[in-house]
Amino acid sequence: MVDLKRILLIAGETGRIMLENGAETYRVEEVITRISHGLGVHHAESFVTPTGIFVSLTDINNNTLTLVERVKQRSTDLEKITRINNLSRKIGKMAHSIDEVEAELRSIKAIKRLPSKVILPLSAAMAASFAYVYGGSIYDCLAAFMVGGLVRFSTIVLGNARMNDFFINIVGGATAALFALIFHALGVSESIDKVIIGSIMQLVPGLAITNGIRDTITGDLLSGIARSVESFLIAVAIAVGAGIVLKLWIDNFSVWLW
Amino acid sequence: MVEKSIMAFIATLGFGLLVNIRGKNLFLAALGGAISWFAFLLISSYHASVVISCFIAAIIAGAYSEILARSIKVPATVFAICAIIPLVPGSGMYYTMFEVISNNMEKAAVKGFETISVAGAIAVGLFVVSVFTQIVRYWYSRIKKTIFIK
Repeated sequence: MVDLKRILLIAGETGRIMLENGAETYRVEEVITRISHGLGVHHAESFVTPTGIFVSLTDINNNTLTLVERVKQRSTDLEKITRINNLSRKIGKMAHSIDEVEAELRSIKAIKRLPSKVILPLSAAMAASFAYVYGGSIYDCLAAFMVGGLVRFSTIVLGNARMNDFFINIVGGATAALFALIFHALGVSESIDKVIIGSIMQLVPGLAITNGIRDTITGDLLSGIARSVESFLIAVAIAVGAGIVLKLWIDNFSVWLW
Repeated sequence: MVEKSIMAFIATLGFGLLVNIRGKNLFLAALGGAISWFAFLLISSYHASVVISCFIAAIIAGAYSEILARSIKVPATVFAICAIIPLVPGSGMYYTMFEVISNNMEKAAVKGFETISVAGAIAVGLFVVSVFTQIVRYWYSRIKKTIFIK
């Protein structure tokens, strides 16, 4: 006899981890059904949107159990997605006990992200290299290095304070513009635009764009629209943040700018 | 061009670490970023427009990630996300915003439309590859089936 309740909890948990870490909708649905079938459920059905998961499992006697998982915060952790994807493939191929799957799931959940003190210089280096990629000089790279670090610092602080994404991106854009202008006024960098672009590249919604399109292609229209709107809003938020600072600076200190 | 691609490699490597890709996947994902940026620079050096260059570069990025995904059994998204990162129109977004605050609405409209087109071109580029892979997989499985039955 299959333990429907336990399998349901495992399936819901798996789906939630995937969705919280940036998996596409069809992949989450596929993994949920694959894991449920692999553990011996007769019929499994799931409906996934970017903000919530519905899983419904039916055993051979037509007993149905349903679970709703609300997903509130989303970030990106592709290592977790890769591991869960491998897990679901393994379950499909050979029989696994529920305990084994639970243990594997626990170890996947325990995967740590890089600590903030590593992320900060990393973002700074990323901003510097993007500034160079988009045609900045060595001095622009130097400024972008510092501005990129500051942008990441502000987003980490606000993220820890559980602000919403829209606000975080406004502040991120504003920080990028403000410090790019300051470094330019101090004579560190040669251009303003390359520095700002380099440092906002860490905020741009690359994942949301690709996932939005992939969801739309595979027929998950609801998620596709939701994610496309998300990516558009993130882009607008960054532009608004940078725009406000630039506008204020041009109106008040334009002597320093040009 | 080569040195910019190397810098794109480093930038994508940083991005890959930020989204927590590990091991050899990280290196391969960063290589994808360098390849797509090199393709973009190469195509735009033949006076192609930004949109077309991005479209073709996205196709190359998509093909790269689908092939890798099949050969080492890792979701294609892991590589696709990183490979398109240098193409994402962050600069277009910035210049649109800049024209808006400088009150050049016509230039802002042109830039804004170009930015949206680039985002669309990247998306459609990945879409084309994705559909092509599905077709190939479908035919592959059918051929396998017929051989198996005979």
